[in-house]
Amino acid sequence: MTAETLVGVLVLLPFIVGGLSFLIRSEGLRKPFVIAFSLVMIIASLWLFLEVYNYGTLVSNPSPVWEYLIFAVDCLLIGYFLYVGITNKHYLIILLAAFQSVSFPLISLPFHKQVKPVLYIDLLSVIMCLVISLIGSLIVVFALDYMRNHEVHHRVNPSRQHIFFFFLISFLGAMNGLVFANSLFWLFLFWEITTLCCYHLIRHDLTEEALGASLRALWMNLAGAVALIIGIGLSLHNFDTVVIQELISSGVVGPALLLTLALFCFTGFTKAAQVPWQGWLLGAMVAPTPVSALLHSSTMVKAGVYLVLRLAPGFVETQLSAAIAIFGAFVFMVTSVLAIGQSNAKRVLAYSTIANLGLIICCAGINTGLAIAAAMVLIVFHAISKGLLFLVVGTIEQQVGSRDIEDMEGLITKLPVLSGIALVGMISMLFLPFGVVFGKWAGIQAASEPVTTWFFLIVAMLVMGSASTLVYYAKWMGRLISCAPDSSGSSEVKAPLAYGTLMALAVLAVGLSFLVVPLVVNVIDPAAVAVGYEEGFKVVGTALATPWGAFPVWPLFVAVVLALVIPALVVRLKPAEVSAVYMCGVNVDERHLVFRSAVDGHVQVETGGTYWTQWFDELSLNKWINAAGIVLLAVLFVGVVL
Amino acid sequence: MNGSDILMALAALALAPLIGGILRGLDRILTARMQGRIGPPLWQPFYDFIKLCAKSKKASHRGPVVWAWAYLVLTVTAWLLFVLRQDLLILLFILAFAGASLALGAFSVRSPYAHFGAYRELLQMLAYEPILLLAAVAIFLKTGSFMVGDVLGFEQPLLISLPLTLVAVLIALGIKMRKSPFDIAASEHAHQELVRGVYTEYSGPTLALIELTHWYELVLVLGIISLFWVIPLWVGIIIALSCYFLEILIDNITARLRWSWMLTVGWSLGVGLILLNIVIVEFFGLGLRL
Amino acid sequence: MGLITKSRIKSPWIVHYSCGGCNGCDIEILACLTPLYDVERFGILNMGNPKHADILTVTGPVNHRNYRVLKNLYEQMPDPKVVLAIGACACTGGVFHNCYNVLGGIDKVIPVDVYIPGCAPRPETIIDGVIMALKKLNEKGSKAE
Ligand code: SF4
Repeated sequence: MTAETLVGVLVLLPFIVGGLSFLIRSEGLRKPFVIAFSLVMIIASLWLFLEVYNYGTLVSNPSPVWEYLIFAVDCLLIGYFLYVGITNKHYLIILLAAFQSVSFPLISLPFHKQVKPVLYIDLLSVIMCLVISLIGSLIVVFALDYMRNHEVHHRVNPSRQHIFFFFLISFLGAMNGLVFANSLFWLFLFWEITTLCCYHLIRHDLTEEALGASLRALWMNLAGAVALIIGIGLSLHNFDTVVIQELISSGVVGPALLLTLALFCFTGFTKAAQVPWQGWLLGAMVAPTPVSALLHSSTMVKAGVYLVLRLAPGFVETQLSAAIAIFGAFVFMVTSVLAIGQSNAKRVLAYSTIANLGLIICCAGINTGLAIAAAMVLIVFHAISKGLLFLVVGTIEQQVGSRDIEDMEGLITKLPVLSGIALVGMISMLFLPFGVVFGKWAGIQAASEPVTTWFFLIVAMLVMGSASTLVYYAKWMGRLISCAPDSSGSSEVKAPLAYGTLMALAVLAVGLSFLVVPLVVNVIDPAAVAVGYEEGFKVVGTALATPWGAFPVWPLFVAVVLALVIPALVVRLKPAEVSAVYMCGVNVDERHLVFRSAVDGHVQVETGGTYWTQWFDELSLNKWINAAGIVLLAVLFVGVVL
Repeated sequence: MNGSDILMALAALALAPLIGGILRGLDRILTARMQGRIGPPLWQPFYDFIKLCAKSKKASHRGPVVWAWAYLVLTVTAWLLFVLRQDLLILLFILAFAGASLALGAFSVRSPYAHFGAYRELLQMLAYEPILLLAAVAIFLKTGSFMVGDVLGFEQPLLISLPLTLVAVLIALGIKMRKSPFDIAASEHAHQELVRGVYTEYSGPTLALIELTHWYELVLVLGIISLFWVIPLWVGIIIALSCYFLEILIDNITARLRWSWMLTVGWSLGVGLILLNIVIVEFFGLGLRL
Repeated sequence: MGLITKSRIKSPWIVHYSCGGCNGCDIEILACLTPLYDVERFGILNMGNPKHADILTVTGPVNHRNYRVLKNLYEQMPDPKVVLAIGACACTGGVFHNCYNVLGGIDKVIPVDVYIPGCAPRPETIIDGVIMALKKLNEKGSKAE
């Protein structure tokens, strides 16, 4: 099989399989079919990875016929968005879609140059493709069990799963196309397809909330696409090209180029739900959990950061770059702080996603080899851990009936396996030596280098955000593991496919962290070099070193095993050693959390979580945060002119 | 890592609790003297430790015991990273893991007082974590490296160019030492509304474990402070000890304050001072690296 | 003297429970902590938590309501542990003897190791009692080993 066939499989197969699973209405039939598809995707992406890894960047020029097809599909999509806007009487959508319907043909019709190369697949693209295909496929497999339960819970009859799987699976194809595209027109097409899939997946349950959230997601993403069109227009006008690689390696960095790139980055920010666009991602959690997991981990929002990262070589050492770094760091800090005040688990995760994307964007803005490598590390590990956490929360929700952190108290005794996986997920998000924190560490190391005048603000915001992250995750873990002395009895229903994917992701999160040295040295660093940076890391002994720091991976793993794994396995209490919880001596007996009240009643002890909402209140903080976000975005564009 | 490193690590492993315990003993004597009392013998912390070890095991759940081990092992790891002259940021991240373990230990049994303390412990971390990380960044800007080894080899004393950073670190030290006005999570003095906060559910040998960890932690934080003057090292150690004395003094002349106040001080004064220091060093050329 | 014995004797941590006397004894206990008596010289610390304590000092007579609390606190202390009944009330019920709500001395509920008489006992007596209790503490500890 040639590499080009693989590319074809990775982009087109999801659409075909999506279409087929739309037609296959029987669950029993769909299941093996989708599992087989996932396997093919995983194998194909690994294969393509090896091809690119061994033979270098792959360029490909599909037949020019595709250009007409793409134009046609684009027009159809824009028309559809217009239709959605009109039927829902959503004037903003109508306006944005109408603008697109005029401007898109206006810029694309007169353009007749042969675009070369149309697809440009370097290591960064295949890393993204791996993340999309591997984690995305696992999520799709997870969805098989999940959606059946979901429809049983919500009494959906007749089943609407075929629509769901059509969009869910097509999403993967669109994402793969997006990361392979080198022509801005192709990029635009896939960009719009992800918007479409996202819109349909969010509104899947057809509740009022879901409809509202989907429209919000639609208009915000359309706004981003408008910026993309304007950017393409500018690029055509000024540089007569729609090729990303030409654009970023043109060599002349002037205001015209920077303005174009700034517009593209703006598009990326909308997709990555950065402040003030965070609303659509927060709203998106009304969708069934696999959707949230997919949107937050491997697809959709990652498209936004991917675009910024892809363009980063184009604005090295410019004010634009600094502005992007400040913006990203700001988003990282404020969303981490906001997450402290949230008790809805999915909302906490959503804020955590936005924060981590902000961190990635910040790294792209710092724009040194180390920073870019850190950004790629974060993309990979964040996708794994966040996908895992969302799926866990979804499973918990199906078993407990709530996604509120308050209702997860003591879950470790009720659902030990699931809570264990959740803890692994959170620890991998939160502590060294796991990948996400390694990325954060590298990010802070990169931010400490005074490459811009404002580096000290960037690094200050990063460390403050980092401390906040610790608080909200530790708080949540605390709720999960809080148990009473008498607690016992698990009521876990272990659906094999769902639990299998969860386990796989958990193993992936830990295992890949363990293998971070070969990963970084063999894949991430070369990927950064391939897009034009110097190497970020080198290996010193067994440690992974930056120019001014070192991360001793394996010794730290040994320490964590000694610190947590061994005590957790070894420490057991004999019945004689168990004593009551201290409650000022008014306990009724040793083992139960019941105390004697003033009138001799027996009162059950209740403990609740703390969210300090007087300080971290979303509603009152949001207007300031959004205002600051808008100001920073304005600065981004002003920075271009200066 | 070569032979001498291993020897040094082993020595540090054994010596740190000794030094930490003696420092705690000194603390108790000094505190007593400041209050017009005589105070316990210098070896008191060790008596306490041994006594606790010899008590019977009792716990309301195994969770706190597991996390207490994590707290100890991770803190020791951080200390070893310091002794082996590793990366300051890594060390601080591991220390944060350790600190979170203490809070998680308190969370892991449904005890109202322990939970109370755990939330406050997290708030304390929220307050001091940015200060310590930023201080590491400030040290990096001066020395060009995050590695403790390189900082130790840096000729010029850091204190001269980073005095404000040291002041900020003092705030973090106060919180980390659990001294007034920052003894928010588990007041060192008993008979309060908190009972013993995070430590409420610990007893006997497990409490001894936590006490031991505190010694390691104390020595580690003082070690970080002594980085501010490394050539000759004894000056740095004297600076660290003076800071320790200052904290004891402050402890005895202030009352426990609200957590919101602590957070404000940490995020505004603490972070602000270091940023100011960085700006002065980087842009006004005072002790500029380049 | 072994190290453990020595440590045990030199580090008695106290938890104090007032069953509801007249508060006179409580004040005297607190007096022990003041600079004049400074019991921390002997390593004595006042803990707010039975789980950390070696010695339970009780003042006041035990009654129908608080005997359960007393018992709970006693049970939550890890071994070895000793109990001090401080003041006439705690020893026998004292002036509250035969009141309708009072059970009597605290030895009706938990085993007492040292009785410290007085109404209220002087701080010197209390310290003396603690020292006596330490011997018992050590005996109990050695026996357990
Ligand atoms: S013994 Fe005397 S001083 Fe003590 S509580 Fe009883 S009445 Fe009060």
